[in-house]
Amino acid sequence: MNSSVVRYTLGQVLKIESALLLLPCVVALVYFDRNGIYFLIVAAMCGLLGFGMTLVKPSSNVFYLKEGCIITSLSWILLSFFGCLPFYLSDTIPSITDALFETISGFTTTGASILSEVESLSESITFWRCFTHWIGGMGVLVFLLAIIPIGGGSQINIMKAESPGPSVGKLVPKIRSTARILYVIYFVLTIIEIIFLTFGDMPIFEAINTATATAGTGGFGVKNDSLTGYSPYIQWVVTVFMILFGVNFNAYYLLLFRQFKKAFTMEEVVHYFAIILIAIGIIFTRIVGSYQYAADALRDTAFQVASIITTTGFSTADFDKWPAVCQTVLVFLMFIGACAGSTGGGIKVSRLIILRKTIIKEMTSYIHPKSIKKLKMDDKPVEHEVVRATNVFFITFVLIFSLSVLLIAIDGNDLITNFTAVAATINNIGPGLSMVGPTQNFSHFSIFSKYILMFDMIAGRLELFPLLMLFHPELWKEMYGHYIRKFNR
Amino acid sequence: MFRQKKAVKQGLRIIIVGCGKVGSTLVEILSNEGNDITIIDKNPQKLESLTNTFDVMGIEGNGASFTTQEEAGIKNADLMIAVTNSDELNLLCCTVAKQVGNCATIARVRTPEYNKEVQYLTDQLGLAMIINPEFEVAKEISRILYLPSALEVSSFAHGQAELIKFKIYEDSKLNGVRISELSGVIKTKILICAIERDDKVFIPSGNDRILSGDIISFVTPRKQVKDFFTQIGVKSSKIKEVMIIGGGKAAYYLSNMLLNMGMSVKIIESNKNRCEELSLLLPKAIIINGDGTNEELLKEEGIATAQAFIPLTGIDEENIILTLYAKQVSVAKVITKINRINFRGVISKLDLGSIVYPRYITSEAIIAYVRAKRASMNSNIEALYHMYDHRVEAIEFLIDKESAATGQTLANLPLKKSLIIALINRSGKIFMPSGSDSLMVGDSVMIVTTHTGFNTIQDILE
Repeated sequence: MNSSVVRYTLGQVLKIESALLLLPCVVALVYFDRNGIYFLIVAAMCGLLGFGMTLVKPSSNVFYLKEGCIITSLSWILLSFFGCLPFYLSDTIPSITDALFETISGFTTTGASILSEVESLSESITFWRCFTHWIGGMGVLVFLLAIIPIGGGSQINIMKAESPGPSVGKLVPKIRSTARILYVIYFVLTIIEIIFLTFGDMPIFEAINTATATAGTGGFGVKNDSLTGYSPYIQWVVTVFMILFGVNFNAYYLLLFRQFKKAFTMEEVVHYFAIILIAIGIIFTRIVGSYQYAADALRDTAFQVASIITTTGFSTADFDKWPAVCQTVLVFLMFIGACAGSTGGGIKVSRLIILRKTIIKEMTSYIHPKSIKKLKMDDKPVEHEVVRATNVFFITFVLIFSLSVLLIAIDGNDLITNFTAVAATINNIGPGLSMVGPTQNFSHFSIFSKYILMFDMIAGRLELFPLLMLFHPELWKEMYGHYIRKFNR
Repeated sequence: MFRQKKAVKQGLRIIIVGCGKVGSTLVEILSNEGNDITIIDKNPQKLESLTNTFDVMGIEGNGASFTTQEEAGIKNADLMIAVTNSDELNLLCCTVAKQVGNCATIARVRTPEYNKEVQYLTDQLGLAMIINPEFEVAKEISRILYLPSALEVSSFAHGQAELIKFKIYEDSKLNGVRISELSGVIKTKILICAIERDDKVFIPSGNDRILSGDIISFVTPRKQVKDFFTQIGVKSSKIKEVMIIGGGKAAYYLSNMLLNMGMSVKIIESNKNRCEELSLLLPKAIIINGDGTNEELLKEEGIATAQAFIPLTGIDEENIILTLYAKQVSVAKVITKINRINFRGVISKLDLGSIVYPRYITSEAIIAYVRAKRASMNSNIEALYHMYDHRVEAIEFLIDKESAATGQTLANLPLKKSLIIALINRSGKIFMPSGSDSLMVGDSVMIVTTHTGFNTIQDILE
């Protein structure tokens, strides 16, 4: 076990967080916001700690998947811990558990809030809330890979642990260029959204915040009623961009290289759009009767569907009051989630495609017991390993999900609340139904339940196993066993 | 896009088809030198293990297929290297690549029939280079056999100078001699470029002493090599009888060369059909049909009296055991061929005589080509050799244009440390430069250094 690489990379992550914390300081300067000072303090803390941890270079740059997982899950925990300090220090959120919940919800792009009132927050705090979505959306370690030159091929193990999807591939031979391309696409799309939003007369500060929250498919809003109060134009812009950020970024890369046919026939992307259209169709026909204008019904339907399937969690209508069939469709969408290789959460469309194909294959094998058929995706064979990992992911997902529902049920809330609260956090969405519906928040849960939900958020964002790895005793024995042995002697 | 403009500086975009021994060595070295590498192979497990270890992209598929090549980015690639098992597939890969993209192509071709037509194939198919590992191995072995006292012999300046690796024993005349006082001990002009002592390699200065147990590398004009060995009292008796175990392609190429040099060759091969083929191809050689790892057979065929013993089976372990056995029962010069490089630390501890690594010999030629292609236009790499497990590089540069390195005397140039300018080849004449000489356009210059990754002659400067 290469524990020095773990230490060194965590140090680098802290340095990056320190730099990122300076952005809210800038915002504070612009708006004369006193809370800026807390960001400066935390930035200095991160910077110093990160500097100390990176003083000694790692003894070897070679590491494997296990180190990649540890690095990823530990850096998400560290990141969240330091990220929550400004909320806590500035007394915006007086409880440390709540501050941590809010920050984890931000970084994991969940958007589940414990705040009932967000309009009174100071500018730098509001910016940081939304900006955590942007950082968490593409992943801070991918950002690290993009800017810090580290030799060797081991870095793929970090990317494997952080990037969503059943199998992680590169766009170009070098991992650094791959990470850069991803971030450039991400950045440019965000800028375009900001521009479109300002055309709709949205104030620039709100446009930036809304855009970063959309880009990360997060869902923290700047207004108490999320996006309900904005003009139809702005709601449509956000709808379109939510859907765009839920598309596999490989498709954008293909578009950049003018391989339009390949980009538009990507199986996952086609399925993704088909699911969106079907969901809109079902809900629209159900709710159109209660609206005065069909256009409003369509806009609300499209916005809610896009918000839930991309796991963003903005809302423009209280779908808690919609007919049950519409709610069921939305809960279903929560689990489907966005495409692999996007910023969204959930189980991912590509996993469901693989599962569907596995089921069909299983049925075929009942008819022709000796038949051999390899699964294919985009006309390429899917390796057995990927299929196996997808199946195990699904089972683990269901187990963690039910266990979490069980544990938070101790609070005594109704089943719909518990079920959708876990669904909304493990899939990184934000709002659920009933007591966690779009107009409600998560503050009424007990501290214990909040930690369970925080675990679900990180587990969902990192796709379970990197985080679960932390609970494997052998890993810690390997990492610190030699110290203990030395101590015993 | 933003990446493409920079790519020229960053490295070449290279597609490698086939992840066998040579392919994976190339991936290792070329990716560490900062090139963008995409590998194509039919075996997903092999791809997986390579992409996990090195910063490269893997694509599963048939490398000769147009679709696969396009997916690997052939349109923007600078170089395509085809090193699969099959000659025909390699040639097809390169032909397709030539049609689709506008890149240079290198193919591995090793069948003896094609080997005679290398020039024709290269010209007609527009290949940049054809590599034939077995043929190169045979060439290297024959060079060592020509000079049996050396551990390794590499040629520079079109064969006019040799870089020779040589072990110093307790009773050697050179034992304990300071390098600056070498000329007092021997009259031949040699330049010691590198010394390996206690597993460490360094570029010596005049003050260093040669000690027993050292492995030294020196440069000398070819004509003076024999002279040198007679002066230090090493008998360089000419080898007349060679025993080869295993009758593969390398054995065929080698036997052909040795027979032409007037040596007599005995090949032991276990496959009867192959023996018959060999007897037709090599009428002058003695072909024995039998198991080369059988001790009795080796004794019967006179291993004790053979002057050189060369195991060329496909299995490294067999080769190593055979070498160790030969060392025990005879005084023959032994040369061991090692295909895989795992456990090199262990191998270097064994007394295996000269060791030949086919995968390195092949990759060296390609790496020299890639570096030259990356370099700017004012110099060119003519030859490149890796020595001492890649810790030392010997590179021959051809200087095409004026640069910061030309025009000044060597004493005035701010040269990097751990670097030696071993010799200069000026209009066909070679000499070892002193501080008052300078580099001129048209020279080809041989550099020995522990730095790696030199692309142009300017890289020798601080």
